[in-house]
Amino acid sequence: MVDRLCLEGEPARGALAHVCALPDEDATVPFDDPVVQGVRQDAMAWWIPLLGSSLVCLTTLAVDESRCAGAITVVTDDRHLGDDPFLRLFGGTVVKTDLFSYVAPPPGPVLERYRGAPWPGGSF
Amino acid sequence: MPELAPGSAFPDLDLPDHTERPRLLSEVAGGDPVVLSFSRGWWCPKEQRYMGRLVELQAELEVAYARLVVVSVDPPEVQAAFRAGLGARFLFLSDHERRWLDRLGLLEEADTVHHPYLPVVFCLFPDLTIHSRYDGNWFLGRPTTSELVTDLRAISHGIRDDWAPA
Repeated sequence: MVDRLCLEGEPARGALAHVCALPDEDATVPFDDPVVQGVRQDAMAWWIPLLGSSLVCLTTLAVDESRCAGAITVVTDDRHLGDDPFLRLFGGTVVKTDLFSYVAPPPGPVLERYRGAPWPGGSF
Repeated sequence: MPELAPGSAFPDLDLPDHTERPRLLSEVAGGDPVVLSFSRGWWCPKEQRYMGRLVELQAELEVAYARLVVVSVDPPEVQAAFRAGLGARFLFLSDHERRWLDRLGLLEEADTVHHPYLPVVFCLFPDLTIHSRYDGNWFLGRPTTSELVTDLRAISHGIRDDWAPA
């Protein structure tokens, strides 16, 4: 599962999706793992500001309410993808895509998920 | 402009954030309580100290479903640098064009150099109704982290249907 907002708006044509995930079904980490928490803190602290206007959207990948299978960061410029903090979870692959739409990044500081939705999506 | 007092609706500010992205306060709230802190700016020693207090609080708010927003007249790029230096992971909104300053009646008239906001902190319900207001011109008037948590608890208690077991 991805944050549904990333797929609901007008698609950003010719964007680049940095997919930090593995095809193996077992390649997951608990969302509550300190590493996953730390990566989300880094996303809020410097990753999103670093991307600036290049950021289209960002979503973690949720297998279920507990397990994270990585993340996708969608951008219009690939300059900073080597710095993606989600690389600490899984290796990254860059894919050209017309699938994702612009979503305002999370304002912070909330890192927890809403009703099990993939961070940063969802609400109560 | 209505008086910015408990029970009143806070205006839905439309301002750029520290990355220059346009934001609407109601969207930033996103259904959660909000601590909205007006700040003089990066240059003020009192603000530097108070921002440190908010940074202390952010680790709790990360897991508490509450938002934290700072508004100042600093330009976005200055806010971004200040935010990074603080280690903040919450949102800064920039009113560098001073579009809301007079409308909100929060001009710091004593500062004839920067024409900044008065340091005032609000705790808001998700619909932007004001729960509490703290006037921080005197530093001791500003809310402690404990007072903010108490206010956010009261708001959350009122809006979370599953706060206590049925």
